[in-house]
Amino acid sequence: MTDAYLIGAGQSDFGSFPSESYRSLFDNAFDEAVESVDSEFDSDRIDEAFLGTLGVGGRQLGLSGPAVTEHLGLHGIPTTRVENACAASGYALRQAVMAVRSGMADVALAGGYEVMTDMSGDHTKWWLGVSGETEWERLSGTTFAGVYAQMASAYMREYDATREDLSRVAVKNHANGAQNPHAQLGFECTLEDAMNAPDVAAPLNLYHCCPTTDGASAALIASEEVAYELSDTPIRVAGAGAASGRVGLFQRDSLTSIPASESAADRAYEEADIQPGDLDFAEVHDCFAIAELAAYEDLGFCDRGEAAQLLRDGTTDPDGEIPVNTSGGLKSKGHPIGATGTGQAVEAFAQLRGEAHVQVDGASVGLTHNVGGSGGGATVHVFEQADGGAR
Amino acid sequence: MSSDRGIIATGVTVPRLRLDGAEIEAAWGTSAPVEQAAVPTADEDSFTMAVAAARDAIESSRLVSNDVEHLAVATTTPPLEEEEFAPRMVSALGLDTDSTVNTATQSTVAGADALLSAARADGPSLAVVSDAPAGDPAEVGQRVGAGAAAFLFAADGSVILTDTATRSRDAPGIRFRESSTETVEGLEITSYERDIIRDLVATSVDALDVTSDDVTGVSLHQPTGDIPHRIAGSLPYDAETISRGTLVDEIGDAGAATPALGLLAAINASEPTSQTVAGFFGSGATATALTFETRDPLITDVDEALTDGVEISYAKALRERGTIGETEVAGGGAHVSLPSWQRSIPQRYRLEAGQCPACGAVAFPPEGACPDCHERVQFDTVSLPRTGEIVAVTVIGQGGAPPEFVEFQRRDGPFAVAIVEVTASDGTARFPVQMTDCDPEAVSVGDRVAGEFRKIYSVEGVTRYGLKFTPE
Repeated sequence: MTDAYLIGAGQSDFGSFPSESYRSLFDNAFDEAVESVDSEFDSDRIDEAFLGTLGVGGRQLGLSGPAVTEHLGLHGIPTTRVENACAASGYALRQAVMAVRSGMADVALAGGYEVMTDMSGDHTKWWLGVSGETEWERLSGTTFAGVYAQMASAYMREYDATREDLSRVAVKNHANGAQNPHAQLGFECTLEDAMNAPDVAAPLNLYHCCPTTDGASAALIASEEVAYELSDTPIRVAGAGAASGRVGLFQRDSLTSIPASESAADRAYEEADIQPGDLDFAEVHDCFAIAELAAYEDLGFCDRGEAAQLLRDGTTDPDGEIPVNTSGGLKSKGHPIGATGTGQAVEAFAQLRGEAHVQVDGASVGLTHNVGGSGGGATVHVFEQADGGAR
Repeated sequence: MSSDRGIIATGVTVPRLRLDGAEIEAAWGTSAPVEQAAVPTADEDSFTMAVAAARDAIESSRLVSNDVEHLAVATTTPPLEEEEFAPRMVSALGLDTDSTVNTATQSTVAGADALLSAARADGPSLAVVSDAPAGDPAEVGQRVGAGAAAFLFAADGSVILTDTATRSRDAPGIRFRESSTETVEGLEITSYERDIIRDLVATSVDALDVTSDDVTGVSLHQPTGDIPHRIAGSLPYDAETISRGTLVDEIGDAGAATPALGLLAAINASEPTSQTVAGFFGSGATATALTFETRDPLITDVDEALTDGVEISYAKALRERGTIGETEVAGGGAHVSLPSWQRSIPQRYRLEAGQCPACGAVAFPPEGACPDCHERVQFDTVSLPRTGEIVAVTVIGQGGAPPEFVEFQRRDGPFAVAIVEVTASDGTARFPVQMTDCDPEAVSVGDRVAGEFRKIYSVEGVTRYGLKFTPE
C-alpha cells in the first residue's frame, strides 16, 4: 500500500456570491489548488474525483459531482458526489486517500462546494437543518443552532463554562480570520461585541454561530511516487480516521461531547502513531462555539470539562501550545457546508508549507476535524511534513 | 339504561390565556359582551382540549382508558369541516380501537347529543364536549371563548341522568356559519332570537320530570351572561340557582362547551339527592334539556381551571387565534410524509417505547438496532411516563423556527425546545420536545415537565398532533 500525500490545495473566496454558480466556485478552488502544486500540474493526471456537497437549495441534487468535473474540463473521469452533511468533503478527502492508498488512483481530486445564500427566506428555512434528525429533532421545532444550543445548555450545567468562554471562541477565530483574504467574515471582534450580540438560540448568540456561505475547496491527493515527482515539500496524510454516531442529539449517551469525533480522532492518532500533544496546530469544526469546546475534549487536547480553561489561557491562540483554527475557522472564514472539510485541508497544507496567513512557527504536524450534522459523522485527518526531495 | 348507570368521573380543560373584557372595550370603545374570554393558544383546538378533558376524567376515575367502549364527542368547530376526528381521539386517549364513536356537531345543542349518546350506550362511555368557535374580529367578535368538559358514564354512577326532553321549531338565523368560513354569525334580530331561545329552552326544561325544589343548579344556553336569566324568567328557578351553572363571563362563549362546563359547575354545587338541570340550545332550532340526580358528590376542578389564567392583550388574542391571516412557508427540504408521520403515532400520542429483550435498554422511538447493545432485536413495548426532567434546552427566537413551526411561532412567539429524560422501566429514555404554555426564557435544565396533547404543525392541509411539554 502506498501512502497518500497532499500535493496541492486551494479554495475559492468564502462569502456570498450571487454571480457565481457552484460549478464556477469550484473552478476557482481547483485553479488555486493546481497553482499550489510545486511543479506544473497537468489536470489530465487526475484519475478520479470525490466531491462533497449537501446540495442546499436542491439545485442539481442528483449528479452534481459529474456536473462540476465536466464543467471543469476533467472530461470523463469517474466522479462521486459524497454526502455526509457538513462532513461531506471530509469524507470526500477520505475517499480520495483510500483511492490512492489502494492503488486504484495515482492522483485523486477531493473537494466540495455549496451555495447557500441565493435563496429566498422561505427556501432557506426548509434547507437549514436538513442534517439534523428530521422526524423527531426537527419536528420538535428545533433548528440546527438549537441542537448545539441544547448541547451548550447541558455543557454549561455540567462543567465550568460560561457565555464568555463561548465568546472567546469568536474573538480568537475572528482575529485569525481577519488575516485570511478568503474569509467571509474577515474582521476582528472584541469580547464585548461577542458577548452582546443578539441571541440566536440561547445560550448561543450570533457570534457563537457560523454564517451561511457560498464557496468551494479542492485538494489534490497523490501517491508517494507522484508526490515526490511533483512536490518539493509533500505533505503526508499520516492518519485518516472517521466514525459515525446517532444523528439526533437526544439519541446519544452524551449531550456534552461528540462521540464520533472522539472515535475518528482515536483512529487517526493510532494510524499516524502520534499523541494529541504532538500536534502543532488543528483546524476544528467550530460551526457553533460550543462545538469548538467539545472538539478540544473529543480530540484529546484536554480532559473533559477543561476546554474553557484552554481558551482563557490562550492555549489555542496562534502563539499557544496548540493553535486552533488559524484560518478563522467556520466562524470567521465561513461554512459552505460541502466545502468545509477540504477547506480545512487548505489551511493544513499552508501551515505545513510555512505559507499560512497566521503561520504557526515550525509547524510540522497538524490535524483537521470535520463534523457532519450535530455529530452523525466525523472525520479526522492528520497531516505531516514528509522529507523533501526525490526518493 | 340500568338505573344506576351514570357519571362516575368528569374532566375539564380551559385554555390558559384570558382576554379581559376591558381589552375588548379598549379595542372597540364599546362595552364588552362578556367579562372575560378564554383564548385557545395557537396549538390548541377542539380536538386537543377534548383529549385533555377526557384524560382528566379517565385519570380521576377507577377505570383505565381501554375500559372505555364508546366515545361521544360534541363540538361546533371540529378541526376540519369534513373528516372524522373521533378516531384520532381514540388513538390519543389509548382507547380500545374497537370502541364505537359518535360525533355531534352542526350546532350548540351538540353537547346534549353527546351526553345522551354516552348515557344510553352500553359499558363505560365518554361524552366529551369541546369547543373553540371563531368570532368576527370586526364585530367585537372576541367574546368567543373555549373550553372542554368530559363525562365518564359507567355502572354505579355518582350522578344519574334521570330525564330528558327535546323541543324543535323551524327557526333559523340565530347562530350559524356559512360554508367555507370559520366565523359564527347571527342576524341579531333581538326580539326574534330571545323569543325562540326562551320558548324552546324553557319549554324543554319545563317538560322534565323534576321537582323544582330539588334543583340546586341550572346550566342554560349562555352565549352571554344575561341570556340564562332571561330564559329562567319563565322557569321556577331563582337567580342564584341559574348563576351556579353560568360561567360564560369567565370563559367567553365557548359554543357547545359553555353549557356543558356550566353543568359541571352546577354538579359541583349539588348535594346527594339534589337535581341539576341543563338546557342546551342550537339555532335552527332545537333545545334539549337534561336533569341529573346526584347520588354521591362528584367534584370537578372547574374553579381551578377557570382561575389558572394568564391575561393577554387584544392584539395577542387575535394573533393566537390566527385571526390576522395565516402564512405558509414555500419550498421544501426535509418534508416528513404523512405515512411516515402516521407510523410514529404511538410515540407521538402515547410515548410508546421499546425495551431491548437482550440488554434491557429502552429505545425511543422503538426502531432500528438497540441503542445500547446495538443488536437488532424485537423490542418489547413499554410506555414512557408523561413526566420527566429537562436535560438540555434552548429558545428558538422569532424568525428562527423550522418552516413547519413558522406559523405557530408567528402566532405564539418564541418557544423553548428541550431534551427530556424520563425514567422508564429499567433505565431512562430521552426525546426532544417542544415546550408550550410557558415563558420560554424561564425553562432550564433540571426543570420537571409534563406532556400535553397539542397541535404540532400543519402541512398540506393536514394538522399533525402530538405531545408537547409544559412545566409541571
